[in-house]
Amino acid sequence: MTMTNTSTTAPTLAPADLKPAQRTWRAFRRNPLGMGSAAVILIMVLIALLAPLLAEFPSGYGIEILMPPSAAHPFGTDDLGRDVLAQVIWGTRISMIIGFASSFLAILIGVALGILAAYAKRLDAPISMMVDVSLALPVLPLMILVAALVGPSVTTLVVVIALFSWPEVTRIVRSQALSVTRLPYVDAARTIGGSHFWIMTRHLLPAVAPIIVVSVVLTASRAVMSEAGLSFLGLGDPESWSWGKILFNAQRSGALTVAWWCTLFPSLAILLLVVSSTLMSIAYNDARNPKTREN
Amino acid sequence: MHLTGYFLQRLIRGLVTFWFAVTVTFFLVRLLPGDPVLAVAGPGMTEEIRQTQLELYGLDRPLAVQYFAYLRELVQGNLGVSFLRSQPVSQVLMERLPWTLLLTGSALLLTVILGVPLGVLAATRARGWVDQVVQITGVVGQSLFVPSLGILLLYTLGLMLGWFPIGGAVKSGLTGVSYYLSVVHHLILPSFTLVLAQLASYVLTLRATLIEALGEEYCDLARAKGTRENKVIWKHALRNALLPTTTLIGLQIGFLVGGAVLTETIYAYPGVGRAIYEAVGQLDFPVLQGAFVLLAATVVIANLLTDIAYGLLDPRVRA
Repeated sequence: MTMTNTSTTAPTLAPADLKPAQRTWRAFRRNPLGMGSAAVILIMVLIALLAPLLAEFPSGYGIEILMPPSAAHPFGTDDLGRDVLAQVIWGTRISMIIGFASSFLAILIGVALGILAAYAKRLDAPISMMVDVSLALPVLPLMILVAALVGPSVTTLVVVIALFSWPEVTRIVRSQALSVTRLPYVDAARTIGGSHFWIMTRHLLPAVAPIIVVSVVLTASRAVMSEAGLSFLGLGDPESWSWGKILFNAQRSGALTVAWWCTLFPSLAILLLVVSSTLMSIAYNDARNPKTREN
Repeated sequence: MHLTGYFLQRLIRGLVTFWFAVTVTFFLVRLLPGDPVLAVAGPGMTEEIRQTQLELYGLDRPLAVQYFAYLRELVQGNLGVSFLRSQPVSQVLMERLPWTLLLTGSALLLTVILGVPLGVLAATRARGWVDQVVQITGVVGQSLFVPSLGILLLYTLGLMLGWFPIGGAVKSGLTGVSYYLSVVHHLILPSFTLVLAQLASYVLTLRATLIEALGEEYCDLARAKGTRENKVIWKHALRNALLPTTTLIGLQIGFLVGGAVLTETIYAYPGVGRAIYEAVGQLDFPVLQGAFVLLAATVVIANLLTDIAYGLLDPRVRA
């Protein structure tokens, strides 16, 4: 993905005394796609946080079943007469929680192993092999098996998704950290007697930090898709709503063949979140890279 | 000569991957909370079946002994018993595997057939409007959630327009040519769902590698010799650009199989994925475990075939 040159603003030379983070922010701010995506994600986070204020938790039964979108129910109602808008709003909450929690866990494991593999030569081969092997396997059926055995709940979903998402992070972090370990300043740190832990956390970690920022966003959006997939197959948390679970209900009840609104709106929510995350990370990458930034 | 070494190395890698998959499943099932017998006999088992399974897998014995017993059974093709169907899991799944292979295989083939011209188009018009459209569609395409896409196609093309059947793999009671036509007719929507879900990353990768290849010196040389640009693209650059995408296909097979599980669920397509969906609803753990092992084997074999294709296509592998 190389969507460079999305910003058409005339080149303005940044003052030399700016920190790299500030330069990145300046360039990012000028990119309408990046800012737009960031705004969309921010709004979704707000919806997730304010869900109890925005809609009543959808439960019980209503009399108006399978009603198309109207003023009273902007997203229509499902086969049990529950408001789809309320389901999407509360679904935002669970989808976001699971997305962020599992990506946080996956990044933690992924970064630790990635840096370790790059720094400790002896661990590189086994870690890299484990990554290659797990990336080659069909992850969804494996997640299904584990989630079904442990029993569906929010915690299960977070752990299961994290457990099978870290290899991607490790692969990216390792290759980036590997190029840094060859630089003279790491040798210098070793020469002055720095401990391995100190070198890894103080010298390697900051060097891969930008990669981590991108990873957080992409891993989270992928985790949202994994959660939706598992919930769609009936492995969602039985107590709460998520976008995948709305689709699962529509599929199981047969509502999807008669009521397009039951599936369209949760689908759009997933699409919007994932597209925004992707665009935001592309914009961030462009903003961080001096070559594309000065364009 | 060297090619044999390369294939051998890939074969060993495939075996290691499969062994890893099997081992991970074994330990996950035993170390997770819950009765491990569940994974080979299902929750509704009678005490008698429980005892037989306990003995068969030696679940009262040390973990290491159990592990080798499990591997021994696996090598013989024993994946446990589906309690709900009281049939061996391998039998239940093997009936379904051909449909999944048909679905994923056709999707893979279509992705390449559609992806190559699109990638060439985007790369040769880099920065033009075609390229912009391809890139934006690409980002959206990569973000598509397979069930959403499947439901959309099913609702519009299947239900509203009535062009395609909305479920199943074939109409019953057909023979000869009409049987095969029915199979193809039922295959189109599920297959296209998978194609659209992965086409974007294929096209974007091909575009990037092709742009790089077109800037290489050997392309300049070909142009300098007076070769027409079309020939430079299709004969010189594309051949080299296709190689990294071959690797990508290998990586995407795992994703494709996951997508197949979701697609088969929507279209009630009688493959392994639909069996997984049904097994989730009935908590038929032996089927879930067996399905993963079987799909892992499929992915490993598919990857092996991609590697072999790569070895044959790229003379550098032999050097």
